[in-house]
Amino acid sequence: MAQQRFRPLRVTAYTVCTAAGIGRAATLTALDQRRSGLTRNDFGPSPLATWIGRVPGLEQQALPAEWAEWECRNNRLAWRGLVADDFAEVVAAARERYGAERIAVVIGTSTASIGASEDAYRRLEPDGRYPADLRRPIVHTPHSLGDFVQHALALRGIAVTVATACSSSAKVFGQAERLIRAGLADAAVVGGVDTLCGSTLFGFNSLELIASERCRPFDVARHGINIGEAAGFALLEREAESGAWLLGYGESSDAHHMSSPHPEGIGARRAVHDALESAQLTPASIDYINLHGTASLKNDEVEARLVADLFPSRTFASSTKGWTGHTLGAAGIVEAAISLIALDNGLLPGTLNTEQLDPACGPQIRRENEQRRVQRALSFSFGFGGSNSVLAFGRGDVR
Amino acid sequence: MPALQSAGERELAELIVTALNLEEVAPADIDPEAALFKTGLGLDSIDALELALEISKRYGFQLRSDDENNLRIFRSLRSLAAHIERNRTT
Amino acid sequence: MSELPSVAIEGVAFWHTRLPGWTIARAVMCGEQDAPAASAARPTPSLLAPTERRRAPDTVALALEVAARACEAANRSPAQLRSVFASTYGDLGISDYMCATLAGTPTLISPTKFHNSVHNAAAGYWTIGTSSHASYTAISAYRYTFASAVLEAATQVACDGQPVVCVAFDVESKGPLGTVAPSRGLLGAALVLAALRSESQRGLSLRIAQGSAADITPARSPAAPLVAENALAPCLPFFEVLAHSMSGNVTLALSDHCLLHAQVS
Repeated sequence: MAQQRFRPLRVTAYTVCTAAGIGRAATLTALDQRRSGLTRNDFGPSPLATWIGRVPGLEQQALPAEWAEWECRNNRLAWRGLVADDFAEVVAAARERYGAERIAVVIGTSTASIGASEDAYRRLEPDGRYPADLRRPIVHTPHSLGDFVQHALALRGIAVTVATACSSSAKVFGQAERLIRAGLADAAVVGGVDTLCGSTLFGFNSLELIASERCRPFDVARHGINIGEAAGFALLEREAESGAWLLGYGESSDAHHMSSPHPEGIGARRAVHDALESAQLTPASIDYINLHGTASLKNDEVEARLVADLFPSRTFASSTKGWTGHTLGAAGIVEAAISLIALDNGLLPGTLNTEQLDPACGPQIRRENEQRRVQRALSFSFGFGGSNSVLAFGRGDVR
Repeated sequence: MPALQSAGERELAELIVTALNLEEVAPADIDPEAALFKTGLGLDSIDALELALEISKRYGFQLRSDDENNLRIFRSLRSLAAHIERNRTT
Repeated sequence: MSELPSVAIEGVAFWHTRLPGWTIARAVMCGEQDAPAASAARPTPSLLAPTERRRAPDTVALALEVAARACEAANRSPAQLRSVFASTYGDLGISDYMCATLAGTPTLISPTKFHNSVHNAAAGYWTIGTSSHASYTAISAYRYTFASAVLEAATQVACDGQPVVCVAFDVESKGPLGTVAPSRGLLGAALVLAALRSESQRGLSLRIAQGSAADITPARSPAAPLVAENALAPCLPFFEVLAHSMSGNVTLALSDHCLLHAQVS
């Protein structure tokens, strides 16, 4: 049986909605003006003392009536993402070209709509049943998100939700690329949505990974993460005339510990190597790296050493979680989108909130923004459970 | 011959075995002076957090992970039981 | 288009509370023996080191059992294989715990239970237990979960020619969540898929097409009533075909309008 080699795919549309801004233009402005979207935590009945990346206005914007079955915060944010930058309309045009069954839906999340289940448990009926407004089974499964996106876009082919913690909405790119390469789809909607909920805030708190102040990636004084919510989507097509390129990707496992990265970054290094190899690039050809950079003690230490070891000093690397918070299951797509914004606009965002870089950092990791022509970018996503994903994007002539 | 457990040490041993699901360990067999972490029982950082949680629920005070005395407090069953005895509110 | 090159099914594993193992399960499916009357206790994840083993929740114990048995049947070293893990609902016991604790005492969440609550927990434990740096994915597709997992695994084989272990599982629901996410017992199933090398291997050809739930193959064997109330029950018709040594066809639903036609040789 012949296997087909990986070939670059066009990213013909993309959008991103975070606490920093709704849509690409607002995100670019926030990055350029160094304006963080982080705010003091005011989420839920008894908020922890921390900072969060909260998307404003979700409480006031119910889903359109035709999507009432999927109503929940996570799908509201998904809908915000789908209508931003006319993304849903671009997909509708693609649906006309390819057929609704030829566009796959591969969406990542870590929370899905667990927040709706949490809400139900606070408002149980005396007989232990869910309140009537929450007796909608699809919302209480991980596939709540993928199922909603497929229905909202009127697509009729493959639809799957990927839930590999912080690498979820990076892995979707590779999964979709394989479906297209294998001929099972001609295009794919990839992306991810995670929303604020008790499970992640109090869960990461139980692991002492939450920072009480604004997160400071790679700072010598960093002390944990800020959680954010976000939605992002991209349209990948096998053949198209415009758009940036998905040049390659690499994936691996740490095989070390569920909640701590491998101390030598073995899995992460392998993912970087495989991404470069699939994209036929060398470290020297990378202009920009959007790092995972969560501001946790361990992730940033391992990642800083990896970057210092593997890349030349001219490579510009930063974490943008100071703008958005750690959007967990949506981090992959958010940071892919920011990498694409960098490619499109020649804007390299630095590392916000960080004052003094940890000595483990090499010259690659930057605090300040720069304007520079960007041709090749990598995005790193290293998740809970040791799941690593590295994406390679580029613009211009790549074949 | 391992040292005998006091009543407080025995109670703590039972809490540890239950909280951490140490299926192959009988509470009475935990040597009060043997190491809890890395060697001895071989507990790790997640176990430390889990124990801190269970101890706070049972004995009503918070073990702080940034306490500079933690290496000493958590060293053995005996040292942890003594610390609980000094600080418990329930 | 819409069909994959054939792949080989190198190993099969199955575990249900009343059908604890592929040997028993296929014999019951073929009508060769009755299911044991007693329910089996959950499997012990022996490939995990003691620290991980004592932390492993039901989903992890179940997933690792079928993953390990499938690799044994395929005579493949687990560390070399990429993997696809799939569950309709994930660990329902932990989800119930998380929601109940958050409703009462949110600052007292167990760190162990939280780090077991991620949908990729089983995949994480698997790669840790087998010291595997190969990549994994963890997916969910509601009632289409098993079909999606098989398709994903076969797609990986078709693209890269490397063997993949596909592991699906669902456990018993607990608490109020069970009223909207019903599932009984433990059900796990796994396949090792690889590039087809010879005609003597069990082959799998997959094709996708538009269609509705009316077109899917119903489960017909004596195993059907036993697993019916588990969320992963949609996988059963596929294993009923595998249980027989001759060729067979089975149609599973892949999404609301999309079918997966599988031909097993």
